[in-house]
Amino acid sequence: MSSRRALVRDAIRRAGGVAADTVPLGRSPAPVTTPFATSALVEGDRVRAIAVGAPTPVPGPVGFLDGVQRHAVEGHVGVAPVVRGYVAAAVLERVDGMLRVAALAEEAFLALPLARLGSDARDAFEATGLPLYETGEERPHPLLDLSAAAAVVQARRERVERDVGVDFVARHADARLVVDGGLQAFAGVPGAERLLGVIKSHETQFLAGGDQLTALTLPAGSRSSVFRRGRDVPAAMWTWYLRLHPWPAHAILHGLVRIERAPGHHVVAEADAVSRWILAERAPLAAPDGRWDRLLYPIHEVETFLRARAGRGVGE
Amino acid sequence: MTDRQSTPVGRVVATELLPASPHQFHFWTATETPVGIGAIVKVAGEPRTVYGVVIDAKAYSDLDTPLNDVIAAEGDPAGPRAPTKRAEIRLWTANVLRQMPEEPLQPVPLAPVHTATPADVERALRMDAYAQAVPSTAIPIGRYQTGGTRAPVYLDGDFLLGPESAHLNISGVSGLATKTSAVTFLLQSIFTHFPAERGRVAAVCFNVKGPDLCFLDQPAEVLPEDRELYEALGVAAAPFRDVRYYAPYKADGANLNTLRTHAALMEAVEPLVWGLNEVLDFHEVLFNRDDLDAKADAFLDFLADRVVGKDFDDDWGNHHRVESFADLERYFRAIFDGLETTGRSDIWRTHHVATIRKVRNRLLNISTRCKGLVADDGVANDLPFGAFRDRAVYVVDVAGVDQLGQDLVFTRIVSKLREHLERRDLGVEHVVVFVDELNKYAPGDGPETYVRKMLLDISERGRYLGLVLFGAQQFRSQVHRRVVGNAGTAVYGRMDPDELATPGYQVLSPATKVKLATLPKGELMVRHPHFTQPIFVRFPRPAALSGRQGVERFPPAEEVPFDDAVARQLAALDHGIAVNTVKDRITGRRQDDVRRALLATRRARPEDPLAFFTALLGNTVPRAVVAPRRGVPPLKAVEDPYAS
Repeated sequence: MSSRRALVRDAIRRAGGVAADTVPLGRSPAPVTTPFATSALVEGDRVRAIAVGAPTPVPGPVGFLDGVQRHAVEGHVGVAPVVRGYVAAAVLERVDGMLRVAALAEEAFLALPLARLGSDARDAFEATGLPLYETGEERPHPLLDLSAAAAVVQARRERVERDVGVDFVARHADARLVVDGGLQAFAGVPGAERLLGVIKSHETQFLAGGDQLTALTLPAGSRSSVFRRGRDVPAAMWTWYLRLHPWPAHAILHGLVRIERAPGHHVVAEADAVSRWILAERAPLAAPDGRWDRLLYPIHEVETFLRARAGRGVGE
Repeated sequence: MTDRQSTPVGRVVATELLPASPHQFHFWTATETPVGIGAIVKVAGEPRTVYGVVIDAKAYSDLDTPLNDVIAAEGDPAGPRAPTKRAEIRLWTANVLRQMPEEPLQPVPLAPVHTATPADVERALRMDAYAQAVPSTAIPIGRYQTGGTRAPVYLDGDFLLGPESAHLNISGVSGLATKTSAVTFLLQSIFTHFPAERGRVAAVCFNVKGPDLCFLDQPAEVLPEDRELYEALGVAAAPFRDVRYYAPYKADGANLNTLRTHAALMEAVEPLVWGLNEVLDFHEVLFNRDDLDAKADAFLDFLADRVVGKDFDDDWGNHHRVESFADLERYFRAIFDGLETTGRSDIWRTHHVATIRKVRNRLLNISTRCKGLVADDGVANDLPFGAFRDRAVYVVDVAGVDQLGQDLVFTRIVSKLREHLERRDLGVEHVVVFVDELNKYAPGDGPETYVRKMLLDISERGRYLGLVLFGAQQFRSQVHRRVVGNAGTAVYGRMDPDELATPGYQVLSPATKVKLATLPKGELMVRHPHFTQPIFVRFPRPAALSGRQGVERFPPAEEVPFDDAVARQLAALDHGIAVNTVKDRITGRRQDDVRRALLATRRARPEDPLAFFTALLGNTVPRAVVAPRRGVPPLKAVEDPYAS
């Protein structure tokens, strides 16, 4: 007698689907804030799955950029929360297989509704010597104030990431830089053509229909055709999907990353080579990080380095 | 000594599971580092400085499970190489050697770690207390050369030769020449550095195996790296200057029972010959526990008190003066004959005849089993007790002697040393007694022997007298624990892994054991009272010929007939003596007479050995044919008047 699991798996196959190993979902996924966005294909007339060939390490010097952020509520003035934030970003450069720090930036600051504080209170916080950032809510709301503070922290993190990235690219004229995440913040910076963004999350879907199906069901070692983010934004990043690890036994996004590059027709010409570089980064595995299927090991190392520097607290 | 502050090579780390304590700490280094097992490091805390010695090491990566590596390599060990090497840690464990200040004793601070400078090594091992004292009692035992630092390592002479602690024990597998070489170097170092103010010192070395110690006075080739080491340690790369060799004769009483019989080396070799007196004092060696009951003991006391060396009249009208084994045999014969002819009981002067026979057998047995060592005729030639020279080595070669004889030699010589040291009339204030194969002479188990008792006695009380035991063995675990336990200094060469698995080595870390099991020739691990942890050092190869080299360069002389052997020994005293002349002088003489004259000549070392020898032999009585005497004519036959 077949189990319910077997019945379901059989039904998936008969429906033309791919049965996975059972992947328990611990909790409901977080709400998706930007589920869809537009795109324009720049390689071919439809999205295809393209086998990129054998992995090849990035030739020449290469750096890896990532950042961390921490914040904590240190207290309240009235109902206004005082949030202490810490952000840091670093580039680790790979030399003879070893990673070493090539650029580093850290910032500790306070995020608080400055406009709502009296001058004495502002003076007291200014006396700390820490930069003060406005959380900007006019009307007190404990949760909105915190959300605003978190947004400030994230913005500061993106800022230091951008700073160390720009610094690295400027100081290493022939080096490529692999960035954890998208490259929007680097639009227009000198040397942006040497940046490779590796996006692990797929909250926003840029493709639809058959294109989406092709892109999200890529076999391991294949990439999608290159497309541009946003239909009418010529300066938008060019991007494509790449499958690092086989997915059928797992969830559909297992091992799937999206590569971003600054726009330019060389991007299409180099898409296979760049994909091979990223494929080569599958080893070593970034385990035990839960995102090991999409997280590149050097990026994981940057994160580890920054976390070790920050310690357990908020950048004490 | 410079105290240059080096660049940190590591940092102390401490976690709840891996804390730093007052006796142990952990630190990490880069993967490329001069630090290794046995390296001395300095933790430069403020205000506390801690010295430690590395005893263990671990390396691990951020790999959570080996399976992750398999997945990354896609199951193919020969798969493409990962472009990024995994983050890896070198985590070292060090035991604390010294904290400065010493009080209050606290956990090791979380501070940068440096490799030790030579000055650090001196402080870490507490050598500054005696190396910089006046007079300095620092005795170099080798050079610490780990972690890119080279620094001499000194033992404290007061703790090596007494009165503090004293004694040294050395262990190591056989066949690497480490034990003998190390002791040889250390003796040279002692002779060079032991301050005259602390007294005179000599060494008595028992050669128990082949030619091991037979060429200590002969120079060996010294390699440049060893010469540099000798210079660094302040010891001349030269053989011992003053060595005397003592070996018993073979059974013929003329050829010496040693491998040092090459004609060019005979001048320094003396026969070791003992008579009845020398043996009787140590009769305990000849008797096993079952033999030496109260009755035998009583009869032996009787012999010693009433018979040996004294005029003694037995119950049958015989007069005895027992000076030798031959006299003793006559004495016993007279007792047995007397008892037999008179038909008296089995008791003679309260001693049962069976006891008398047992004592006779044991005593006379030694003159048979150790013929060559024990002379029947009572003439002895011994070590120069009372005239020991400062910085001299006395080698007693018993390698070819029966076990019983070895026991006797060892026991008697050590006892005599002890007697003279107690009376302060040996000639020196300190004597190092080197005994190899200690597991044979002082085993941890087996029957109680007189030799073992003697070794225990030296170990426990010798330091007060200046009698110092340098013992060597392959397996320390098989030596009596009180003997090894009383050795203040312990030295280890390459060790057998099975031996390292015994409980005595539990204090050593697994990494230290691995290092010990693979220690190259010329390296030692040293434990010394001033060092709180074992330290690895390198010492130079001996500047004297090893036994093997010695017999190759100076092949032992062939064993020759009695008259040739006598001639050879006289020629060693005077190279001008012709062999044929000696042969002519001894032709027709009793061998015992020749032996006695030879021994006396060797002992006297006269200006003209041949004349002296000849005079001792005395005039020969020419052989003469005695004419038969005329017989006394019988009385005239008389008829028997009672015959019927």
